[in-house]
Amino acid sequence: MNRITELQPAAVDLGRVTKRFGAGAPAVDDVSLQIAPGELVTLLGPSGCGKTTTLRMIAGLEDPTEGRITIGEDEVTHLPAEKRDVTMVFQSYALFPHMNVRANVGYGLKVARTPRAELTDRVEEALALVGLEAFAERPVDALSGGQQQRVALARALVMKPRVILFDEPLSNLDAKLRHHVRAEIRALQKRLGLTAVYVTHDQEEALAISDRVVVMNSGRIEQQGTPRDLYARPVSHFVADFIGSANIVPGEYDGSDIVLGDARIPHTQEITQGPVGVMIRPEAVRPAAQGLAGKVVSISFLGPVNQVDFDTPAGRVTGNLPDDAMGGLRPGAKVALSFAPRGLHLLPPRAV
Amino acid sequence: MPRAATVLTALAAGALIVLVGLPVLFILLQAVFPEFARGSLAEPFSKIVILTENDRLMVQTRNTLLLAVSVMIGSLILGLPVGILRGLCNVPGARIWDVIFLVPFLIPPFIAAIAWMMLLQPRGYLQQLLGFHMGGFLFTFAGVAFVMTLNLFPLVYFAVSRAFEAVGGRFAAAARVHGAGPVRAFVLITLPLSIPAVAASLLIVFAMSIEEFGTPAALAARTGFEVLVTGIYTRLSDWPIDLSGAALGSIILMALVLAAFTLQNWIATRRSYISQTGKPADAEKAELGRWRWPVLVLFGLVAAIGVVIPLATIAVTSFMGTISGGLSLSNFDTRHYAPIFSTGSRAGQALMTSGWLAVLTAFATAAIGGVVAYIVVRGTGRGRAVMDGLSVLPNAIPAIVLAVGVILAWNSPFLPLTLYGTAAILLVAYIGILLPYPIRYAVARLRQISGSLDDAARVAGASQGATLRHITLPLMAPSLIAAMMLVFAIASRELVASIMLAPAGMRTVGTFVFAQFEQGSVQTGMAMSVIAIAITSSILLAVNLWLARQGGSAFSG
Repeated sequence: MNRITELQPAAVDLGRVTKRFGAGAPAVDDVSLQIAPGELVTLLGPSGCGKTTTLRMIAGLEDPTEGRITIGEDEVTHLPAEKRDVTMVFQSYALFPHMNVRANVGYGLKVARTPRAELTDRVEEALALVGLEAFAERPVDALSGGQQQRVALARALVMKPRVILFDEPLSNLDAKLRHHVRAEIRALQKRLGLTAVYVTHDQEEALAISDRVVVMNSGRIEQQGTPRDLYARPVSHFVADFIGSANIVPGEYDGSDIVLGDARIPHTQEITQGPVGVMIRPEAVRPAAQGLAGKVVSISFLGPVNQVDFDTPAGRVTGNLPDDAMGGLRPGAKVALSFAPRGLHLLPPRAV
Repeated sequence: MPRAATVLTALAAGALIVLVGLPVLFILLQAVFPEFARGSLAEPFSKIVILTENDRLMVQTRNTLLLAVSVMIGSLILGLPVGILRGLCNVPGARIWDVIFLVPFLIPPFIAAIAWMMLLQPRGYLQQLLGFHMGGFLFTFAGVAFVMTLNLFPLVYFAVSRAFEAVGGRFAAAARVHGAGPVRAFVLITLPLSIPAVAASLLIVFAMSIEEFGTPAALAARTGFEVLVTGIYTRLSDWPIDLSGAALGSIILMALVLAAFTLQNWIATRRSYISQTGKPADAEKAELGRWRWPVLVLFGLVAAIGVVIPLATIAVTSFMGTISGGLSLSNFDTRHYAPIFSTGSRAGQALMTSGWLAVLTAFATAAIGGVVAYIVVRGTGRGRAVMDGLSVLPNAIPAIVLAVGVILAWNSPFLPLTLYGTAAILLVAYIGILLPYPIRYAVARLRQISGSLDDAARVAGASQGATLRHITLPLMAPSLIAAMMLVFAIASRELVASIMLAPAGMRTVGTFVFAQFEQGSVQTGMAMSVIAIAITSSILLAVNLWLARQGGSAFSG
């Protein structure tokens, strides 16, 4: 039986891929990336960083200027989209407005001249996977945003894709629904063992859903790694700033201590001694008996934590402090600050 | 780009070049080289000198501009007050008035002109009913301007009412919140913000009155008042034929229309503050109170002059046994309708000819326009850039200019064979004249269809051709069909190109009515007009209803 649950995920390999649109800087610049079968990799970055173009080259919707793309054993670099076993879920869902749910989901199978009985079964199975069996005969514009999203997902799954691509699939949903649907997508991806490439500009979404995150900037890969890796050990100001929120203040490193203003903080990290950028995650900031001298500038109550801005000799530092760590802080109060080691990381000094 | 797309681009570009580009090119060449029609490049620029001397062209250009400006002012006087009232106040029966003011678009202008002549000329209906005639007014410059104004003022009415509705609703509310009184809000906010839309509509009135042939042709012969269009027509129909003069006149006409069109486009895209999407709320409109009846009388008066009187005159004339029998019940007769429905009669043939010409034009323009629009919106690279430029060209070319160009191009000694002198030449001209409608409709529709639908079909495994067949074409179909209906309605009563290009012995609805009026039975001409107006009105109505059910209105834009 030809079931979606028995699909064969494939590896994806991008070898030194470049895409130019006309003159000027390339949209994607010498990108190499390996994705293992069954892995969910997110391309993360600000708009214009090349993440969507990279995705569209994997789909076959853009033709690479240079480089090589393979899916499984097959080189597909210049193969048009319709000849690849790749499907895609689009930002605006791109449901065909003149077809009902069933026709939308079955469209790819129909184009492939799948026998009628198998087509019906596969469509039913795909709709069941996304929980929309009851909506098969509805016109697509009669569905809510979340339901349209699932139809788009079912339309992609029904093809038993060797690779599935997601282009900011949640950006048209409201915040609550977004959390819910992203958990569902992740669960389905794990259950079916899909190879998935997911594009987003939302760093929280990227951290929550991915096996691996690839941070892109100006057409290049800035850093890739597991979500925890990227969060704890960013390699650049850009990544530190883009993933989560971070204080980055200038300091000195002598191999054993970070010198920050008049404070010395013990720290071990493989990095060139001398001037460094000190990344401090807000949740690592705590008032302490001794440490960096700080003065409270302002306090905002955010619910779970208080966001406290401190003026220090090293510059402005923001901390997220739960109520029981506040110790009666008031604006104007002078306090020493310590930093939890896992929220502390050194970056190369900012290029001038 | 795949090969199929390249071929399609080449075909569409070729069609545009042959149908529109060549005629314009031949006009330019003829204007520069007086002997060009005989295949010679002798004495270049010799005729252009005439422009600076005493040729009638300068007089005709001045008359054309004078007429166009008068029609603009007339349309403003007639359209502005009712438009403002409709936009800002709760006028009773607002939607009915909107439908009524659409009617002038349905009456071919030259037929309306004939109707006014039947009414106002000496011994006309007015004299029979009230004892005096207004021939002295009608057969003057003012009379021509008056009849043309009645045909075009609805453009101003709709633009004004829509602009004031949008601006008055939202921005004026904001102004009121910030402390402006109703009068100050109107003077400081509503009026200035509406001016671009009103100006754009006036420029369309300007361009359309420059292009209009039927009204000056019907009235000008009796006024001695010549404009560019009638001048061009005379140069090509009266001995000695003056090809260079016609070409020069065409270039002036084209330049004027192009200027108006460019300015209109600039205002509409750069200076318009009126959002296309914002739907104004009716609830915010002012109540008329005790002004209710005076306002209704004003609307009624405008509707009577613009719609009821010409329509009634056309219908009454078609039912008169003899014109000399006058307005009396005993003179009522339906016999003038008989020839139209009898096959083989000249009237029946004209109806058939216009019918199939209009059908073919509709299909051809939709096919070419659809491809052109697809390339303009979805194309890439050089093909797209070329097509983008070519596709706006037809907009700036008045029907008479295209007809002149077709005459020059298809009579050229360089051609091995020609369609000139056959019915096909009419088709060629009709397509060139009416191409802008399908292009505009299809481009607008395609811009609404997200490109990711194409991508979605491609990743689902559909080839480019299959994507076009399954996705793009079905989604474009409603707007293409609407454009085809509009093209059919206009083509079925086209006058100027038909008069200039129809082979000997061939009549269309337009030329039939015109000829009946010049030398024949006015009643038969009017009976034909009634049929033509009824057919086109019911087609447009049916399409609009169908589109409304589809959830979009092509004619509301």
